[in-house]
Amino acid sequence: MALALGAQKSRFLLVGLVLVHLAVISHQVDAGGGISLLQRAVFSLLSPLQSGLSGAVRGVAAGWRGWIDLRRVHQANQRLEERVRYVETLLQERQHQAREADRLRELLALRQALPLETIAAEVVTRDGVPWFRTLTIDRGRDAGVALEAAVISPTGVLGRVIAVGPRAAKVQLLQDRESGAGVVVERSRVAGVVSGQLGFADAGPTDLVMKYVPALADVVVGDVVVTSGMDRIYPKGLVVGTVRVVGPGSGLFKEILVAPAARPDQIEEVLVVKAVEAPPVLDESVK
Amino acid sequence: MKALVTGLAILFALVVATAFGQLLPGLGRIVDPFLLLVVYCGLRGGETHGMMAGLAAGWVQDVHFAGPVLGLSPLTKVVVGFMVGLAGNRFLLVGLGARTIVLLAAAAADALLFQWLAAVFDVRVSDLGPLGLLWRATVNAGLGVGLFELADRRLARGGEA
Repeated sequence: MALALGAQKSRFLLVGLVLVHLAVISHQVDAGGGISLLQRAVFSLLSPLQSGLSGAVRGVAAGWRGWIDLRRVHQANQRLEERVRYVETLLQERQHQAREADRLRELLALRQALPLETIAAEVVTRDGVPWFRTLTIDRGRDAGVALEAAVISPTGVLGRVIAVGPRAAKVQLLQDRESGAGVVVERSRVAGVVSGQLGFADAGPTDLVMKYVPALADVVVGDVVVTSGMDRIYPKGLVVGTVRVVGPGSGLFKEILVAPAARPDQIEEVLVVKAVEAPPVLDESVK
Repeated sequence: MKALVTGLAILFALVVATAFGQLLPGLGRIVDPFLLLVVYCGLRGGETHGMMAGLAAGWVQDVHFAGPVLGLSPLTKVVVGFMVGLAGNRFLLVGLGARTIVLLAAAAADALLFQWLAAVFDVRVSDLGPLGLLWRATVNAGLGVGLFELADRRLARGGEA
């Protein structure tokens, strides 16, 4: 019995010694890649566990980072939306200022070119329909605006002042049926009178009618029509419009339609000519 | 006491191996005094004694004579010591012929096991070849039988005294 126990113990000892030696030897032997067999065995055993743990940790970390990033992105998005709204408002304001500056620049250029004393005014109200017959400006008697004063824009003649208050004035546009201005065809110097076609409640054409032009007069489509100065309201040489239609008319006169140069529906700033004693002579640059 | 004697025997084997290596390098690669000691311990003391003797002798041999990888000789000699001890417990291995066979088998097993382990662990060792293996086993068996007789007589004389 004792012998059997001793033999069994020695076998266990043998197995233990063999295993220990195998471990010791494998630890010293390079299995390629600079690691020992023991290390490789340990790595092989533990690497799946390590990989799993590492993957789990990475997943949790990635999820956490994603959540944090999402919150940051959300906050950044809100900030950016506010910023965009602010910038859009600013942009609209700047664009408005730029357009206004352009208009004022044109107006200033016209004012400097005119051999007349003028008052800059801003349009404050219109008739409220596309076919404006009158408009109101923010300068009146206090600023030197007088009745019958001519009102012009950088693109052409607008009309005349028909009512004046201390700080505002009403302007009758050339498109009004009751208006009138002495004009000449710039090329052929054929004279006539233009007036509007719109009545109080009309919604008709905005072209001006050039009247009293003889049937044999030299007027063709495209001719530029300018003020003649003969009406003692509008200075001589201001652009009124362009001949759009020339017809035979009835009787002694041609039927001529003139497209007005000024666009009352787009005008925001105008120049009011101060009292004119005599029709001044305009040079070519004004025309 | 047995451990002390075994330790002294291992030191003597170390001296002999060193002397062979210095004086007769060719014979030094053939004769393995540590193996003879392990076989003798296994035959006299059984598998446990044979294993422990193989463990100690193998480590001494590896530390002094082995290459960069340590542990092949102790492992080999542990197994050889166990097998010889197991055989000594099972069979009556006292005669000249039986001891010769045991020594031949032990020497062959030692060499083969060593080379197999070296191959398994990819350790470069000089290949003995069949003839070299036979020559090594024969030399060690012849030497071992003589030494064992001397040791038996010495121990018997010490026992009588």
